[in-house]
Amino acid sequence: MNKVMSMKEAIETHVNDGAFLYIGGYIARPPFSAIHEIVRQKKRDLTVVRSNAADGFDMLIGAGCVKCFIATFLSLGFYGLARCYRRSIESGIPHKIELEEYSNLSLPMMLMAGALGMPFLPTKDMVGTDLLNVKSFMGDNKYKMIESPFDGSPTLLVPALRPEVGIIHVQQADENGNAQMWGIGGDCQWGANASDKVIISCERIVSRDVIGLDPSRTIVPDFKVVAVVEEPFGAHPGYTPGFYDVDFVFGSHYQQASNTVEGFEAFLDEWVFGTADRIEYIQRYIEKYGYGQFKNLEAGFGFSPPVSYEY
Amino acid sequence: MTEHPNDYIKPELMACCGAREINDKDRVIVGTGFPTMAANIAKHTHAPNAMMMQESGSYDAIPRRPALSVGDPCLNPGAAMIGGLVEIMGMFLQRGWVDVGFLSGSQVDKFGNINTTVIGNYDNPKSRLPGSGGANPIGSLVKRVLIIALHDTRRLAEKVDFITTPGYIDGPGARKKWGLEEDNGPWALITNKAVLRFDNETKEAYLATYHPGTSVDEVVKSTPWDLKVSDDVHETEPPRADEIRVLREVLDPNRMIKIYEGRGYV
Repeated sequence: MNKVMSMKEAIETHVNDGAFLYIGGYIARPPFSAIHEIVRQKKRDLTVVRSNAADGFDMLIGAGCVKCFIATFLSLGFYGLARCYRRSIESGIPHKIELEEYSNLSLPMMLMAGALGMPFLPTKDMVGTDLLNVKSFMGDNKYKMIESPFDGSPTLLVPALRPEVGIIHVQQADENGNAQMWGIGGDCQWGANASDKVIISCERIVSRDVIGLDPSRTIVPDFKVVAVVEEPFGAHPGYTPGFYDVDFVFGSHYQQASNTVEGFEAFLDEWVFGTADRIEYIQRYIEKYGYGQFKNLEAGFGFSPPVSYEY
Repeated sequence: MTEHPNDYIKPELMACCGAREINDKDRVIVGTGFPTMAANIAKHTHAPNAMMMQESGSYDAIPRRPALSVGDPCLNPGAAMIGGLVEIMGMFLQRGWVDVGFLSGSQVDKFGNINTTVIGNYDNPKSRLPGSGGANPIGSLVKRVLIIALHDTRRLAEKVDFITTPGYIDGPGARKKWGLEEDNGPWALITNKAVLRFDNETKEAYLATYHPGTSVDEVVKSTPWDLKVSDDVHETEPPRADEIRVLREVLDPNRMIKIYEGRGYV
């Protein structure tokens, strides 16, 4: 089955207001094109989840798309403060999001539990800290402390997460959705597989035969996938290993713009509402920053020796 | 005789203090900035077999430029292994394979608890900070935690506003009560004024060495709890020539470390 469609169609068809979304990425491969489309279509009341969130989540919060955030961290790191996130929590602009906080061990484990069909998992972190003293929309289901049935030791259980839709950006996929990724993974594989259905954004669509030449790189199988979007440069200003580098200039530009509500809105007008799709976004980028800067982001190339699966 | 160049800046001294806490063959989970520099100084001097990893999924990376985030592109090519959070935070860290973790905090208390969540009240914060990220599991599960902080009566606290990452929690016996390894936890608190270590009995941070240019008195005055002073308290050894050479010639030729001066590390 051919699941190839535009990002507009993928988000229109599969992301409803109020949906529970896993959105992948870890500086590596954030599905920014999908994030822009969610903002463009003014989706509302979303619950979003990912470990170590960054600029994409900040933008979704600032644009008013998010109601609930299952979080571990949100920072723009090197660029500066995550202003939309702070404005939401500190001053309720555009509204105060509800926050359920975990850590970069417990949250990936919750996605892993979701992916494996388990109801919960024990983890060894978070105990003894105030992360156990604050509960939000998950209430008493945020976690349970039990005595281990094996040795009586205090044991923290965290619930499985099963987002309705997982959205990830990868290097390549076939038109049915077999998705291949390499490089730093974050919680992408578990988050996608925990989800009921998956939207794959990819740098290139390849044939099923190409997938079969290196099947160990497939992280999501076709049967979980409902949409495949070929979206070159789709993770910008994040990076995709083998395709393009992080765009530090543009990342700083977003941070600077988002220091004020007006600046943030002007940024959205220029880069999100003012462009119809990723092609226009790239055109705008080249007009503004120049073709030289665009080409500078292009990754170098180094071959990994081909592997053989033959017998 | 060991040479000590006298043109170093405070962040360089702090990076060297971090490096000296790393032993050969340690497995170290690092963030960007100080941790990466400290671990690399160690690797290029006394600990060539120390191995580094980043929570995002990279193990034994060979970055060709300074990594600006733990997910930086330069942590991909050449790494010995790449997975994701489940591999590094679960398979390596939770399983007990990681010796040293570096953390920094907006607030650190006398038991080495760290706050990176909120300043003020949680529901109506004065300042919303980024949150735990990997800090909580690193502080919970590595053998030795090295903490980097600014030394003043605001950043150091008798009690933090919010415990994001456990140190010794509320004192002796607390880690054990919560099912954490009792012998693991904060190992050194490296500030811009001093190196504090943690007492085996009371679990409280005490003054071990004060940096050149400051004094026991000044450090005690800048610490908001009744800071105990080690019997053999002495001046911190300044950066050695070999440490400075690695830092400036190999790791950080553009001297990005200077940005920490602007953040108050002077």
